[in-house]
Amino acid sequence: MAEGATPTAIILAVLLAWELFVRWRGIAPIYLPPPSTILVYLFRMIGNGSIEYNLGVTLLRIFAGFAIAAFAGVTLGVLMGMSRLIARVVDPWIAALYPLPKIALIPLLVIWLGTGELYKIVISAVTAFFPIVISTYAGIRQTDRGLIKAAEDLGASRRQIQLKVVIPAAIPSIFAGLHLGMGVTVILIVAAEMIGSSSQSGMGFLLIQAGQVMETEKVFASLVVLAIVGALIIKLQQWIDRKVAPWTAYRDGH
Amino acid sequence: MDVSVENVTQAWPGRGDDPVIALENFSHRFASRRFSCLLGPSGCGKSTLVQIIGGLEAATEGNVRIVDPARPDVAHPLGADSVMVWQTLNLFPWRNVIDNVAFGLEMEGVPKKQRYQRAKSLITSVGLAGFEQHLPGQLSGGMRQRVALARALIMERPIMLMDEPFGALDAQTKIVMQEELLRVFDQTQKTIIFVTHAIEEAILLADEIIVMTARPGRIKEVLQVDLPRPRSLEMVNSKAFGTLFDRAFHLIREEVMKSMAQQAMALEGSR
Repeated sequence: MAEGATPTAIILAVLLAWELFVRWRGIAPIYLPPPSTILVYLFRMIGNGSIEYNLGVTLLRIFAGFAIAAFAGVTLGVLMGMSRLIARVVDPWIAALYPLPKIALIPLLVIWLGTGELYKIVISAVTAFFPIVISTYAGIRQTDRGLIKAAEDLGASRRQIQLKVVIPAAIPSIFAGLHLGMGVTVILIVAAEMIGSSSQSGMGFLLIQAGQVMETEKVFASLVVLAIVGALIIKLQQWIDRKVAPWTAYRDGH
Repeated sequence: MDVSVENVTQAWPGRGDDPVIALENFSHRFASRRFSCLLGPSGCGKSTLVQIIGGLEAATEGNVRIVDPARPDVAHPLGADSVMVWQTLNLFPWRNVIDNVAFGLEMEGVPKKQRYQRAKSLITSVGLAGFEQHLPGQLSGGMRQRVALARALIMERPIMLMDEPFGALDAQTKIVMQEELLRVFDQTQKTIIFVTHAIEEAILLADEIIVMTARPGRIKEVLQVDLPRPRSLEMVNSKAFGTLFDRAFHLIREEVMKSMAQQAMALEGSR
């Protein structure tokens, strides 16, 4: 009980200080609106369905992009881990493309795909793909040799070792990659929504549109929504991790 | 099953030009149904030897043969007749106790009902009844140790290779596990090869102690332990035990000093 109380109290204190500071110094809301006004705008946006619609669209894009990246990344990572040949063929491409900031691909993708749904999902999937495939591959290659020897000693065949030891042992690494992947998916979707003149929807669109007309209260309200949703997504992923892989909660599991 | 180790040498490429020779010309016949201990300082190759016997490492030179004394002409491939209990346990962290214990049977294709039945009875016999669904991460060190033991025993192989299995345990748990192992040995009459660097443990458990030198590992001397079976903790205070301890201690002391010097040199060299 006491644990949650102190951080909450501090958050409230900061908000109060913010509110008082803005009002006392008479700062124009166009630069820094007080929390009370932001709250008003937020409720208004919820009330007129603007949040519901735009957030919904953004979330759909996030999950679509992430699903593609996760499926492709984990599959390729596993294949690379199991086959030296595949690893040798694919690795140079990954090494070359991973360091490229995917945001730099936006102009190219806009030329190819326009600024519609496809472009947004593609850019986020491409970006999330890399940390996922790299972490998966690393997890498979770095299997604890002791576990493999133990399985061998107990009579497991090569196939059995791959399926029953190497892959489960790689799960913590794969999950780490999926966390990173989700993080960049969110960033890229919102960024993609901010660029482009057609297909105007999503939280990123709300942000850029509010910014263009200097409705700073709306900008803040949208940021608050994004922050809360981001935190919820992380918590959801952690919950899924614990359900799928309960043993990762324990240190020194073997 | 006898284990016949013939002139086994194990060398690894080292830093620079000199290979690291873990074992040199090791030859010994481990007799069936005997409890043999490999006693030596760190780095003397005893873990390597045990893995070579288990078919998990290949010897650079030499030969290991598993021989059934009743049918000496039949060749046995390494690994099929022996099972390892590891220093680091190597339990599968994502599998619960019963799935860990039943792992070997699962690999053989034994149906779930049967293998769970056998696993349950073994889990009970090592005193872990009720913990079948627990994950290794939820267990104490001693409990995990017993899971590892059960996982090995379920295979019912004639040879058990144990690499310092009780090294990480606290003194009291260690005593309990040693008594457990003695009980298992008396009941199953397996051929056990047990690696340790603890002298009292070796004397308490074994019929013979192979004292090894520091690297390159060779046999320094083989001590016979004539204490009666079944063994018990009280024997530690007996005169015979004390004599053996003195003997083993003097043999090993020299080698431990050498081993420490080697380690110091290795550290120097890597700076």
